[in-house]
Amino acid sequence: MMENVLLPKLAKIVKSEKMTAIERFLQVEVLDKKFAEVFDYQPGQFIEVSIMGVGEAPISTCSIRTKKGVIDLCVRNVGRVTNAIHHLNIGSLIGIRGPYGNGFPMEEMEGSNLLLVAGGLGVAPLRSVLQYALKNRAKYKDITVFYGIRTYDTMLFRDEFYNLLAEGDKLGCKFYLSYEDSKDKQCISLEAEHSERCMCGVVTKLFERIKLSPEDTYAIICGPPIMYRFVVQELTKKQVPPEKIYMTLERRMKCGIGKCGHCIIGDGTSIKYVCKDGPVFTYWDALHTKGMI
Amino acid sequence: MKYVKLPKENLDAFVENLKTHGKVYGPVKIGEYYSFQEINNSKEMSLEYSRTMIPPKKFFLKLKERLFTFNEEKGEYKETLEEEKIVVFGIHPCDINALKLMDKIYIDETPDKYYKMRRENAVIVGYGCHPDEYCFCHSLGTNYAADGFDLFLHELKDGFFVRVGSDKGNAIVSEISELIKDVEGSDIEEFRAAERKREKEYTLELNIRGITDMLALAYESEVWKEYADKCFGCGSCNLVCPTCRCYDVVDNVNLNLKSGERLRRLDSCMLRKHGLVAGGLNFRPTRIERLRNRFNCKGSLREDTLNCVGCGRCTVYCPSQIDYVEVLKKVRGEL
Amino acid sequence: MILNLEDELLDLLSNLDVKSFIMASSAHEETDLDVAFVEGSVSTEEGLERLKDIRKRSKILIAIGDCAVWGCVQAMRNQEMSMKERMRKVYDKEENFYDVLEPKGLSAYVDVDLEIPGCPIDKIEFLNAVLSLLHGDLPEVKDYPVCVECKLNEYQCLLVEKGMPCLGPIIVAGCNALCPGLGVDCIGCRGPIRDETNAAEELNVLKEKGYDEKYIKNRLKFFGANFGEIAKLSKMLEKKQPGKGGK
Ligand SMILES: Cc1cc2nc3c(=O)[nH]c(=O)nc-3n(C[C@H](O)[C@H](O)[C@H](O)COP(=O)(O)OP(=O)(O)OC[C@H]3O[C@@H](n4cnc5c(N)ncnc54)[C@H](O)[C@@H]3O)c2cc1C
Ligand code: SF4
Ligand code: SF4
Ligand code: SF4
Ligand code: SF4
Ligand code: FES
Repeated sequence: MMENVLLPKLAKIVKSEKMTAIERFLQVEVLDKKFAEVFDYQPGQFIEVSIMGVGEAPISTCSIRTKKGVIDLCVRNVGRVTNAIHHLNIGSLIGIRGPYGNGFPMEEMEGSNLLLVAGGLGVAPLRSVLQYALKNRAKYKDITVFYGIRTYDTMLFRDEFYNLLAEGDKLGCKFYLSYEDSKDKQCISLEAEHSERCMCGVVTKLFERIKLSPEDTYAIICGPPIMYRFVVQELTKKQVPPEKIYMTLERRMKCGIGKCGHCIIGDGTSIKYVCKDGPVFTYWDALHTKGMI
Repeated sequence: MKYVKLPKENLDAFVENLKTHGKVYGPVKIGEYYSFQEINNSKEMSLEYSRTMIPPKKFFLKLKERLFTFNEEKGEYKETLEEEKIVVFGIHPCDINALKLMDKIYIDETPDKYYKMRRENAVIVGYGCHPDEYCFCHSLGTNYAADGFDLFLHELKDGFFVRVGSDKGNAIVSEISELIKDVEGSDIEEFRAAERKREKEYTLELNIRGITDMLALAYESEVWKEYADKCFGCGSCNLVCPTCRCYDVVDNVNLNLKSGERLRRLDSCMLRKHGLVAGGLNFRPTRIERLRNRFNCKGSLREDTLNCVGCGRCTVYCPSQIDYVEVLKKVRGEL
Repeated sequence: MILNLEDELLDLLSNLDVKSFIMASSAHEETDLDVAFVEGSVSTEEGLERLKDIRKRSKILIAIGDCAVWGCVQAMRNQEMSMKERMRKVYDKEENFYDVLEPKGLSAYVDVDLEIPGCPIDKIEFLNAVLSLLHGDLPEVKDYPVCVECKLNEYQCLLVEKGMPCLGPIIVAGCNALCPGLGVDCIGCRGPIRDETNAAEELNVLKEKGYDEKYIKNRLKFFGANFGEIAKLSKMLEKKQPGKGGK
C-alpha cells in the first residue's frame, strides 16, 4: 500500500496551558505506536495540525524531542484553525502530518557562536534551537539569545526565560530581553533587576550590548516579517556574512510538501517553496530570491 | 520504439478493445468548446479538436475532489480513494509533456497518492495535432511527445501511424494484433512528410532563450502594472493551465456535526487568498504581484524544463484577452 | 430561500435554539443571541435602530442575502440623484417624510462578522455556514469570482466563447456558477468582490463585445450600486452622458 501523505495521523492533547491572552502551549502525543517510534523532528521543522471540520495549519515545534511520539507546540489564536486549537481539551484528538521543512543546520553550525534573535511568537521555533544547543552544549561556542517583546503580557515561556535572565550564564547562554512599551511596569522592574540584560526598545537595540565576532558566529532569526530587514541590517553592519544569517519564514501553506503552491516565492531564476526548500533560509538566499524578505 | 499501423476502418474496434482497459475518455465537442468526456465509440469524438478548455490533467489532479472523510466520535480519518481504470484517448503532445511535468511534482517528489494511483491506472493514447494561432508549443519544444504515452496515433491518409511508448501500450497492441498491420516504407514516408509539414504550420513564436533571466530583470517593470489594470484576478488562466498545480483545501462538516470530509480543489495564484496569511498580511496584495508571480512561476525551470508547454489556453480563456505571449515579449523588450 | 431547505432545515433546527425568525416562527424574544442572521437592507431610521439593537445583543452578526450585504436592487438608483430629488420625483414633495435612507448594506452601519451574499442566497452555502457556526467556528468566506466555479465545473465560458455579457469575472463566487452552468450569463446577483473588483475592465470588455455603455452601466448597477468602484464608474459615465447614456 502506498502511503497517503495527506491523511493526518491521530494524536491527542496531553497538555494545554494558557501562556498569554492569545497564545497557548500544547503538548501532543501521537496515538500510533509504530509512528511514535519514527516520529522525530529537528529545530526549525513544522507539522501540519488538523482539526476535524475546520482545517489545517502549519505549526513549528517549539522544543526538541524528549519523549517518543511527543511534540510541543506554541499556538497563537489568529484564525479558524488556531482558534479551534485553543478550544481543545486535554484528551482531544487532532490530526498531524509531518514533520516538514528543512530545519536549521545544527551540525553545520557546530564549533561556532550562536546568536538567536527572536521577536514575539518567533521565539517558539528558536526555543527548540536553544534547547538543542544547550543539550549539545560542548559543540557550540558562545550562545546568545535576544528576545524582543512588546509588553510583559505578551512574553512567552516566562518562567523559563526569567530563569535564563537570572541564571543564563550558569546554564550556558547569555539571555537578553527587550521590551517596547516604556510604561510597562513589570518590564521596568525586570530591567531594574537585570539592567545588563534587559532594556527598553526594539530587539535590534540589544546589539548595543554585545560584541560580536563575525568570523565565527551564526545568527538565527525568527519574528514578524518586518523584523527581518532591521536585524539583517544590524548583522550586516557587524560584518556577519549573508550565508551565516539564518531565518525562518512564514507563508500561507496548504500542504507542507511542495504541492499546493501557496508558499511560492522568487522570480524566474530562483523559485522557492517555503515549505520544502525552507522554512529556513539564509540571508544569501534572500539576496538571490526576490520577495523573500 | 515500436511502430505499427492501425487502418482507419479499425478505429472503432480499437476503441472497443480499449474499453476493456477502463472507461474511455476522448475529446468531445460541447457547444463551442471541447472537453474530455466518456465516449462509447470513436464517432463521439472530435479528434480534429484544437484544445479542450480543461486539460487532461483533470483525470489525475481532479478539479475538485474529496481527500478523505473524518469522524470525531470514532476518532478516525478514512481514506475514500478508489481505484478506477481509465483510458484517455486523443491527448495532444503539449498536454502529454505537461503531464510529465506534473509527474515531477506529484510523483517524483513526495508522491501524492491520489495523483500517482490515477496515473498508474490510466492508459494514455496520444494524438497528433495541428496548431492554431494560439499554439506556441513549437517554441518550447513540447510540440512533439517523445515519451509519456502508452500509444500515440498520427493520422495517415488511410490509417494511423502508431508509436508504442510503453509496455502497457505494447500489451494492448498485442491484444489487437488482428486489427493492426506492420508499417511499410510508404507509411513512414507519409509520417515524415506530415511532420515536416506540421513544423511549418506554427505561426506564433516566443523566444524562450534566457527567459528566466529576462523575468528576473523585469521584476520591477511597468509591464505588470499595465496588465494588472486589465486583469480581473479571475484565476481562469491558471485553472485551464495544464502545468498549474496549485490547490486549496477545505473541510466540510455534516449535519450531525461530528463527521465530514476534507475537499481539495484547484487554486490559482491570481486569487487574493493565495498569498494571504492570518492577520491580514498578504504577500501578493495586488494583481501586480500576482501577475508577476504567475509569469515567474511559469517561466522558471524545473529540471531544465519551463513550467509552460505553450498550449495557449491561458490566452484563449482569459476574459480580458490578456495575451500570454505578448506579455512575455514585453518582458523581453521585444514589444 | 432558507425556508426552502426543508429536510435540512428540520435537522438544523434541532441543533439551534431559534429566538427570532420573524418569517418562520412567531417566537420573538429580545434576549442576547449567539448568532443573529439579518436579512434585508437598511432603508429607514427605524430599521437602523433595530439593527443597532440586534448588533448589541448578538455575539456574531451575519448578513444574509444581497440586500443585507450590498443594499441590492433597491440601491440601483443610488448616487444618481439625491434622496430629495427622488422624493420629489416620486411623491412630488421634498421632505423625507418616511425617514428614508439610501438603501445600504448592514456593514455600512454596524460591524458584520460574516456576509453570505446572493439573491437568493445559495442554500448549500448557507447550510455550510450554519454548520460551521454550530461546529464552533466562523465559516470560510469566498472572495474569488464566479469564473473559478465555472472552471471547476468545466462549464463553457459564455463571455469568451459566446460573447455574452457575463459579469462573472467581478462577482463573488459561492453559487457554484449556477447561471453559467445553465447557459445563462451571470447578472451579478451575489454582488461584486469587495476591494478586488475591476469594474472598469468589465466595462471595457463588454464594450468591446459590442454592448452599449448604458446597458452595461445598468447591468453593473443592478446588484452592485453601493459598491465603491461601480459607484465611481457609473458616476463617471453619467457625467460623460448626462441623462441618457448609451448609443
Ligand atoms: C513554517 C510555519 C511555522 C509556523 N509556526 C507557528 C507556530 O509555531 N505557532 C503559531 O501560532 N503559528 C505558527 N505559524 C503560523 C500559523 O500557521 C498560522 O497562524 C495559521 O496557519 C493560521 O491559521 P488559521 O486557520 O487559524 O487562520 P485563518 O486566517 O483562518 O487561515 C486559513 C488558512 O490559511 C492558511 N494560513 C493562514 N495564515 C497562515 C500562515 N501565517 N502560515 C501558513 N498558513 C497560513 C492555513 O492553511 C489556514 O488554515 C507558522 C506558519 C508557518 C508557515
Ligand atoms: S501558461 Fe498558458 S500556454 Fe503555458 S501551459 Fe499554461 S495555459 Fe498553456
Ligand atoms: S502559476 Fe500560479 S497557479 Fe500556476 S502553479 Fe504557479 S503559483 Fe500555482
Ligand atoms: S484569466 Fe486573465 S483576467 Fe483572469 S486572472 Fe488570468 S490574466 Fe487575469
Ligand atoms: S461564463 Fe462568466 S462566470 Fe463563467 S468563466 Fe465565463 S465569464 Fe466567468
Ligand atoms: S505549502 Fe503547499 S507548496 Fe508549500
